[in-house]
Amino acid sequence: MLLGEKLSKTYPSGKVLDNVTIQIAPGQIYGLLGRNGAGKSTLFKILCGLIKPDTGKVSMHVARAKPIGAIIEKPGLYPYLSAADNLRIFAGIQGLPKDKANIVQHLIKVGLPVDRNDPVRNFSMGMKQRLGIAIALLNNPEYLVLDEPFNGLDPIGVASLIQLIQQLAFTDHIGILLSSHLMVELTKCCHFLYVIDEGKMVNAGFTNQLIQDHIQRFSIAADNITTARAIRNYQPVMGMNDVKITCPASQIANVLQALITEGIRVTACTPELTLEQLIKQPTI
Amino acid sequence: MKTLVWAEVVKLAKQSKTYYALGAVFLIECLIFITAYYQGSTILDVLLDSLKQSFYFEGTLLNGNLILYIVLNGLWFNVPLIIMIITSGILTDEYKDGTIQTTLLQAVNKGSFIGAKYIVAVGFTLFIITFMLLSSSALAYSIFGKGDLVVYLQTLNFFPAADAFRRICWAFASGAVAMLFYSVVSVTLAVWIKEAAKTWIAAALFLIITNLLLKLDLGITIANHFFFPKLMDTWQAFFYNEIDWSSVWINNAVLLGYGVLLTSIGVWAFRKQDIG
Repeated sequence: MLLGEKLSKTYPSGKVLDNVTIQIAPGQIYGLLGRNGAGKSTLFKILCGLIKPDTGKVSMHVARAKPIGAIIEKPGLYPYLSAADNLRIFAGIQGLPKDKANIVQHLIKVGLPVDRNDPVRNFSMGMKQRLGIAIALLNNPEYLVLDEPFNGLDPIGVASLIQLIQQLAFTDHIGILLSSHLMVELTKCCHFLYVIDEGKMVNAGFTNQLIQDHIQRFSIAADNITTARAIRNYQPVMGMNDVKITCPASQIANVLQALITEGIRVTACTPELTLEQLIKQPTI
Repeated sequence: MKTLVWAEVVKLAKQSKTYYALGAVFLIECLIFITAYYQGSTILDVLLDSLKQSFYFEGTLLNGNLILYIVLNGLWFNVPLIIMIITSGILTDEYKDGTIQTTLLQAVNKGSFIGAKYIVAVGFTLFIITFMLLSSSALAYSIFGKGDLVVYLQTLNFFPAADAFRRICWAFASGAVAMLFYSVVSVTLAVWIKEAAKTWIAAALFLIITNLLLKLDLGITIANHFFFPKLMDTWQAFFYNEIDWSSVWINNAVLLGYGVLLTSIGVWAFRKQDIG
């Protein structure tokens, strides 16, 4: 278990972390949600030992040489080296094998091409993220911390990265902490969510439970939805291809049932949880 | 530590700016050669015409040894500035690219990491000075040939051709100690400043102030002898008729001591610093 307890940090510009507690278990995926400047990166740097907290402590029970692998803010890569040479450098400084077979194995693990020898400055953001993850995974860390890993990725890149993250947690039993200000991406892959705002942890809980407790809007796509009587009491807002309704999570099953009873064929129902809702309705 | 040093060497060897630095040193040498080739004889003839009538000089006065002495004068500003830019970049580039975080997120000791930077900065400086000596000697002797060396330091000093090269080699070795000090200063500046451009400005300022202080009488005997700016011209001692060896050894030892002190301060500060 990786545990950060009562962590606080103040910079000359002000307090960026205020009494924050967070814990990560192996094999689980945790999300840290917060607006830009909420204190996510500072918290990550403290967890990874890059900066010291003013108060509080980080503890973990690990037996490995490298407890945490991480990418914080952006993947730090040598732009003038190829992907394989970057891996070779970071493997070499830890005394790990850097023969071709090993390097190829790391490239394949994160889905990077093994035949590209050009400098990584030519790589797309998605490829750099993958290489960053490959470097973070060197030396078999027990935990993986990824700060804004979806930044700059297209939807295919996001989906592919989520798949890789899930594989690392479920197959390799790595405890993973992700941060983002993008709700949808985190709710897709995290077991547990933390919400941080202005340096304070304002919300935390299992992803499903948080959605259930805070969701108030749903987007419903269906044939002839504009004529449906079942949604009239839920402040419907018509969109191009869907309708948005304001409705507690506990009632959505009834609404859908009513739509079906009316003979309306529902093709999609998506909860719309916003970061603002999680921040404004704290549970801790 | 060995693996960290090796990684630093690989990174330095793979960066184009390392070769730009070598190219810059070589270009300065070439400019000296070209200027000397086309204008050097005329200037020397005017300056030394009367001396030539009274003394016999072996070979021409504009010879490889004099050219090497002129190249050595690059140790005042040009060469240390190039060295400081490259060696500070060993650290500032890591901050710029975010690789310092990536490295310190691996199973790597913070002290060993910065220690390796200092070792490679020292190694690169020695490499540059060796490159300078070898390339300028090869070109200077092949273009201008050998001959007696005339140097004006307080008075005109004459050295036979055979003795001149030995003195030039010692001067390069002593100059290397001064350059090592500058490279250690630049890495230490980078520990605090972190940004490349700001570190270059600070390094250039340090270089200018050091050169100014070298000429200034500080009014305190011990400071005039052992304050670091006063030790930066020790390599010039080889161009007086009598070489004051004890002063050369002491000055260089003290300068190396300053280097070790600055390195220790840099390592200590880096270990205390937050990264990010």
